[in-house]
Formats: sequence, structure tokens, C-alpha cells
Amino acid sequence: MANIIRAASRRDVLTISALSAVGGLLGAARVGAAPKSMTLMHESSFIPPYDAYIKTTMAQAYEKATGIKINYDVVSVGSLQTRVTTAAETGTGPDMSCVYFNWPYLFDEKLVDVGDIAEEIGKKGGGWHDNVKEAVVVNGKWKAIPFGNVGQLMNYRTDWFDEVGVKEFPDTWDGLLEAGIKLKKAGHPFGYELGHGFGDNHGWLYPLLWSYGGREVDTDGKTVAIDSAETARAVDFCREFYQKTMFEDVLGWTDVSNNKAFLAEQISCTNNAESILYIAKKDFPDIGKVTSQAQNPKGPTGQRFHILAPWSHAIFTHAQDVKAAKEFLVWLMDPKNVAGWYDIAVSYYAPFLHMFDNAPMWTAEPRNLPYRDSLETSHLPGWPAPISRQQGESVAKYVVVDMFAKACGGKSTKEVIADAAAQLKQIFKPA
Amino acid sequence: MMVERGGWRVKSVRLWLPLGAYMIFTLFPFYWMAVTSLKPNSELYNRKIMPLIVYHPTFKHYVDLLTETNFLVWTWNTFLVATISTAISLVFGVMLAYPLARMRFAGSALIAFGVAATYLVPQPLLFIPLADIISSLGLNDTLTSVILTYPTLLIPFCAWLLMGYFRSVPHELEDAARIDGATRLQTMFKVFLPLCTPGFISAGIFAFTLAQNEFLYALIFLTQTDVRTVPVGAIAELVKGDVFYWGQLMAAALLGSVPVAIIYSFFVEHYVAGLTAGAVKQ
Amino acid sequence: MSTTALPAAVYVPVPRRASGFRRWTEREDVFSWLMIIPPVVFLLLLVGYPLAYGVWLSLENRPVARAGTFVGLANFIADAHDPVFWQVVQNTFVYTFFATVLKMVGGLGLALVMNQDFKFKNTVRALMLLPFIVPTVLSTIAWMWILDPAFAPVNWFLRYLNIANPGPSWLGNAHLAMMSLIIVNVWRGLPFYGITLLAGLQTISPELYEAATIDGASTWDRFVYVTLPLLKPVIYIVTMFSVIFTFADFQLVYVLTRGGPANATHLFATYAFDLAMGAGQLGLGASVALAMLPPLALIIVAMSIYMKPNKS
Repeated sequence: MANIIRAASRRDVLTISALSAVGGLLGAARVGAAPKSMTLMHESSFIPPYDAYIKTTMAQAYEKATGIKINYDVVSVGSLQTRVTTAAETGTGPDMSCVYFNWPYLFDEKLVDVGDIAEEIGKKGGGWHDNVKEAVVVNGKWKAIPFGNVGQLMNYRTDWFDEVGVKEFPDTWDGLLEAGIKLKKAGHPFGYELGHGFGDNHGWLYPLLWSYGGREVDTDGKTVAIDSAETARAVDFCREFYQKTMFEDVLGWTDVSNNKAFLAEQISCTNNAESILYIAKKDFPDIGKVTSQAQNPKGPTGQRFHILAPWSHAIFTHAQDVKAAKEFLVWLMDPKNVAGWYDIAVSYYAPFLHMFDNAPMWTAEPRNLPYRDSLETSHLPGWPAPISRQQGESVAKYVVVDMFAKACGGKSTKEVIADAAAQLKQIFKPA
Repeated sequence: MMVERGGWRVKSVRLWLPLGAYMIFTLFPFYWMAVTSLKPNSELYNRKIMPLIVYHPTFKHYVDLLTETNFLVWTWNTFLVATISTAISLVFGVMLAYPLARMRFAGSALIAFGVAATYLVPQPLLFIPLADIISSLGLNDTLTSVILTYPTLLIPFCAWLLMGYFRSVPHELEDAARIDGATRLQTMFKVFLPLCTPGFISAGIFAFTLAQNEFLYALIFLTQTDVRTVPVGAIAELVKGDVFYWGQLMAAALLGSVPVAIIYSFFVEHYVAGLTAGAVKQ
Repeated sequence: MSTTALPAAVYVPVPRRASGFRRWTEREDVFSWLMIIPPVVFLLLLVGYPLAYGVWLSLENRPVARAGTFVGLANFIADAHDPVFWQVVQNTFVYTFFATVLKMVGGLGLALVMNQDFKFKNTVRALMLLPFIVPTVLSTIAWMWILDPAFAPVNWFLRYLNIANPGPSWLGNAHLAMMSLIIVNVWRGLPFYGITLLAGLQTISPELYEAATIDGASTWDRFVYVTLPLLKPVIYIVTMFSVIFTFADFQLVYVLTRGGPANATHLFATYAFDLAMGAGQLGLGASVALAMLPPLALIIVAMSIYMKPNKS
């Protein structure tokens, strides 16, 4: 009896596996046809019409044209990397995602090579800005289609700068320090994030370091180079800049803090993306009128730098239909489709296609032009070393940010550089 | 009850003063939330005016929250998820706690240790493998994903809390039932568990609170807006880039907690009074 | 405790012909294990397996989205050489210790105060629970604003009275930032302490107090010799919960400071998260997360001693 039962159940198992094999075949056959829907994950934009535009206008247009429904899922920027990690690790979830900073490198193996469409899109769009390749071309392969740079620039109050006699935004860090001293005396301090946020800290501290000639690691991507006279000068400057133009709270700030402080008329200058001006114009028109933006100042090297913060679109290798996803990205990035999306974001996303260098989006708000002009001097954190995992670790550990922050908190330049060097050596030690 | 003595002087020192101080500490952030949620943005960001007063109250943030986001859906999801995962956890909690607290058997120390250790396992260590399990079960973007994973956080708690209460129940009634010939299962269901309502309520309150509060798993498993819970929905959709929608966030905090507080206020009565209600004692 | 079968009177009649199976399931150990197996299997699947996976991760060099290589204890050695790791250890201990002590003392005080008769007791009890109920991420966002010197009421008054401008920087100063976190943690955790201890207090029979009073015990004596000993089990369990919670806290720091200023508020969970999620070093992140287990295990040992049956 027991034997029969066992035999029967074994037969069932066989039947089931046969069925599932058939199912698998059917499933495989189905891949040929276009999927019914695809999901694109994105950061939740602070510009509500921007999310609405793709959700409704663009997605509908695409569905009409191809029959494929585009789901657009938003995640707050601080949580996005966790979501992308989970999707890449488990091979499930959205078909496409927007990716940031060094993610094309981090998630390299789980992202589809999109070199073919990158070329096609580039051709149609007048060619790519060269430096974006720093972020999306991994080992010679395009791992994402660049969408736009969320530049970090100087945001300042023109009225208060005028009041202390600074008519033009200072061209050098020293000039900015001088202006800041006057402004702080006039009750309008500066406020630059020195805490553990995700962007506004790196956004000015790396450029500051670079413009003083300092660097974390050499171009070989191995030799730790932070311990230099250039770094020391940058740190000394930062401490003085902090002490003479800012206040203690900036040491604990996260990215939201400077937006709040600027709109609360607490600070006269900060380093931020375009979100301050956008919200000011919308909700605080009086502040909006007297807010402007400028490129980062030059350092003693005579050069100015900016952080490269590219948002790009990547396709996961687990996408149900890679071909369809590629077709969607080609459609999305077609200048006549994507232009409307760029426009609605009022140049918050600075396109990497040269075709848009003089697009109407820039004339709609000339105060945003520095975002376009800053592209050529923008680099990823860790530059001039090539993008690497170790670099990602350094950013996640806030090595450079904390080096400056500790100096501002009162530690000696020598000490903070030694700390940073020790940390970097640990991170970059040969495996 | 403590013996009441002395007039209003004693009473104010012993009761109203400490209680008042505590209530101010506890409720101040809620006052802040309320004020923030009622302020128009222009006033919210104005640091020159007294921050504790609303000069031009507006319900705009509430209206926006309810019309522009899926807040009501999130609330429903949260309620559903928290209720079911609490129920699962209580059932499993009883199954662990009853033998551990009332019986002697080989291996009980090991199990007790294991259950306790479960709670120590750090969430950040678990979520990648858990995400793996969830996706291989095809449960991504379903409420089931969190209903299934929350009990891993809640069961150890429920088990411990229940064990505490179970142990405080005297053995006599059970023994009598056993002597009367009831099976162990009958004894447990008909005699023992009814005595433990307060234990269930307190463990339930605790589990429910943890469940509706959970952030990390919900963030990872729930991407689509219509399956999100309140904490994740609010953070994902009201924190946009480096711009916080303060008013709406605070409105969400209040709307998300006050109704629960009202529901709890009924249970809390049971929770405390139940403990003193005859049966448990002697 | 053997089943001396007397005729059933009140309860469901027991079949006289109790089968062997039935007798088997009525055995104390068998019954216990039958009860325990389902939840244990559930926990093994959803905690045990991920945990084993996590332990394995910690022994690997495992970049995100890439295959790992076994490296033995290299990640833990790297942690031991990482100054931030040691700062995280220190922060976590400071945070846990002060938050727990404050919650314990405050909660006990609160329970004693609440254990008196007064008007609006139910309302107060319900209101008291609010901090515990409100989703932590959202209440922390409120605190973010309360702790901003530009808006903080304390700073506003200091400015208003011309004492200081802008006044203390609650999250910018390393020491104050830790203190602020502790305050927010206490704010959130006190209700649970208070309510549970209150429940514990109310189980103490008034006769005991009366007897003690007759014996000439002062209020303090009654507290020390009657209340505290009887409350001990409850205090113990709440404290354990709180220690575990606080030790592994994530949300609060994640929202408020992200570990800043300069790592002054980084805790195990947030640092592990940054390493695993931010840097994509799953192995290294897992090693930091695992490193929080040994200190907590000590507490667990204490607890399992307490939890052994037959000890209350």
C-alpha cells in the first residue's frame, strides 16, 4: 500500500514537472511577443508636474504607439539605492531604473550593455558630453543612458550680496570668503552642508579639494594621495570659511537642511541643486526674485570644478524584454519626446546631449545657465582616479566630507588629513 | 492602588507636577506637528515669528495629502498588514510561549534561547536574503510580502511578553481541569488562554505598533504606490529630492497616529484593568 | 503531573479508551514540541536561513550585484582597523546606555505617578501612548524641525530674550547631537515603559502594601521592599526589549543625522547600512551588522537565565 502511494506520488511529481516544463516552453515562447507593460523606477521629483508628465502624457503616448504600458514608480532619492540593490540582487522588480553617481559601475553585471542605443541616441541628439562617460561607461561598455546632470552650484541672495557691496558673485574661494565675512557680520551667514547628507556635502567639498589641487587617490586608482600640501591648504581654507561665514549647525546638516535655511532667509549662500530656486519661485516669490545661481569659485590652481551628478536610465538584465526596454529608452530619449520632459523640469536635469546646449529650456530661466556651463568642469567624487568600488566605499564612509568637517569642528589639519589618509589606505589596500 | 493621603498640595507635588511635565514633553512634538500641518508655507519658513502659533491656519496640506497622494490607501494597507501580521504573531507567540512558560521538556532552554536570539538578528543583515525569498515566491509588490516578514520581527516579542504573563497565572485552575480529564489542548484553550486576555492585548498592542511602524522591509518590498504603507508611502512620495513637503508629512503623521491612539485608548483600559481583574490573582 | 484520569465533570468528556497516540500527545514534552514546531519552522525559514546567509556574506568579499569570494575573517579584521567602526561601537554603547537608563527611571516614575487615582486618567493614558504609535520616520521628521536652531522653541526664546543667537546647535554639535538622539529615543520609548510598568504595578496586591504599612514601613521602604521586587520581572523584560531596540536602532539616526556630524551619531545599523547599501560592500556591511551580536548576546544570556521556567 505504502509503495503504491509512493509510486503514485512519484508519478504526480513527474506529471507536475512535465507540466511545468511545458509551461516553461510556453513562457519562453511568449518572450517573443512584446510585453504588456514595463516598469521604470525613478527618484521622486520635487517637481510634481515632472513625475506627472511621464506618468500621464508620455506613458500614454507610448502606450498608444506601441501598446506597451509604462509603469512609473517613484522612490525618494535617499531610498532609491536600496531599491536598486534589492532589484539587482534578487533579479526581480522594475525593468528599468534611473541610476546615479557610480551606480552603473556598482551594478555593472546586472545592467544591460546599452552601447548600441547610446550611439543611436547620441547621433540623434548631436553627440554626448564627453565627461558623462566617466559615470556610465564601465570597462568600455555603456551601462546606462545618461539623462541629465543635477548640478550642485552656488545659490545666493543677490539683494544681500548687493548690500555688502558684492555686485558680482565672487570668482575665487578667497573672494567668496571675503564676501561671506561681510555677510555674516550683516546677519546673513553662509550655510554649506558639512554633515552626512547624500549630495550637498560632496557637492562642494570635492570641487573645493580639486580646485586647490588636492585629490584623494592618484590617477592609477591605487595610490592614496590625500596627504599633500594642497589638501592641507584646502582644509585650512575650509576651516576658516566655516568659522568666519557659517554657524555650528551646518556640521549636522543633511541635504534638506540648506533648502530649509535658505527659504527661511537664514543663510545668504549655499551649494545646492536647482531645487531652492524652483521652490522659491513657486512658494516664496519674494525670495525667488532675489535668488541667483553661480558656478563654483576657482581655487589657487585657477581652475573651478563641480560635482558630476548624472541621472541615467539603465536596464536590468532581468528585464522581461530587453529589446522592448531598449526601444522604449530610444523613444524616450528622442529629442522630440524628451524635450518636453526636460522643459517641465526647468533644466533641473541638464541634458548631456549637445543638441540641448542652446535649447529653449535654458532661456526660460537664464539663472540656470551656470548648470549648463558647469558640465565641462564636472567630475565624479574621487576624480581623477577612475570610478571604482573603493571609491564608492570612500563616499559611503564620508572620508573626504568628514576630513573637512572634523577640521571645522576644531581638529588640526594634520590630524584630519592623517585620519583620512589612514582610512583611504585601508579602503584602497590591495586585496 | 496607592493609598491616597494629603490635600491638593501633596497631590500636586505627587501627581500633577510630574504628570504635567511629562505630558508637555510627550505632547509637544504633536503640538508641533499640528501647528506645522496647519501653517501655510510662507509662515512655516518664517523664523522671525513665534514658531508655536499659527497666524493663518490652512487645511491645504491636509487637502493635498488626501487628494494628491494615496494616503487613504496607505492607511488601509497599513491597518491590514499590521492586523494580519499581529494575528499571525500572536498565534505563533502562544505556541511558543505556552510550552516554554508552563511545561517542562527537554530542549526548552535551547528554544527559549533561539527565540530570544531571533530578535537580536539585525534587520540590515536580513533584508537581502529575505528579498530573495520574497521574490522567488513571486510576492514582490504585494502586501503578503510584508505580512509574511513582519512576524519574524514580532513573534519573539509576542512570545516573550506572553511568557511573562503566562508565568504569572497560577497553576490551580489548569490542574483542576486536568484532573477533571481535560486534554492539554482543551485546558489551554478553555481554561488557560481566557485568563490571559491582558497578555494578548499588551502583546497585540506592541506587535501592531511595531508592524505599522516598520520601514525597511516595506521600503524594499513595496515599490508601487497602491501597496505602500503609511511610513514608506509618506517618505517615498513626500520627500522629493532634497525638498520635504513638511506640511503634508506632518499631516500624515497626525492622521496616521491619532485614530490608532483612539482605538488603543479602548484597549488600554482592558490592558491595565484586565490584569487586576480577579481571575489572574489568587 | 501525570494524567490520573478521574471521570470528567465539567469539561469535554474524555474518551475512556484513550488511544496510545492520544496518550503520546498528552505527554508534556510531546505536547510541547508539537506546539513549538510550527513557529520554529517558520522562524527557521524566515530568520534562520537569512541569518545563515548573512553570516556567509560576512565571510565573503561580496560586492553588490557580483559573485563573492570567500575571504574568511578579512572583513572583521578590516573592521578592527577601521577607526569609524570603533567610534560606532562607542556611540552605540553610549546611546543604548543613556537611553535605557532614562527610560527605565522615567518609566518607573511615570508608572508610579499614573498609579494614583485622578480625573482624566484614561485620556491621559491614551495620549501618553501617542509617541509610541506615530510612525517613527514621521515623528522624527517633526523632531528634525524642533531641533533646528532656527526654529527650535528653546532657541527662539533665547533669541527673543537676547541671551544667545542662534543658541545651541542640537544636531551640529557632536555631543549635543548624541544627546538629542537620546532624547528623541526616550520620547518614543517612555510610553511603552510607563504603560507596561503601570500594568505591572497594578498586579501588586494592595494587601501587601497594607501589611507593610502596618509593619511601619515608610513610603520609600514600601517602594524598595514591596514594589521593586515584585516589579522586577516586568522591569527586566521591558529593559531587555528596550536595550535590543535601542542597540539596533536605525530609523531615528537614518532620518535625523545619517550618522553625522563626522560620525558622532553613527550606530551599528546605520553604519552597516551605509557600507552595504551605499558602498555596495555587502560582505563588509554584514560583518558590521554581525558585530553587534556578541555584546547583545551577553544580555541574552542574562535573559535566558531569567526565562527558565520555574524561576518566577
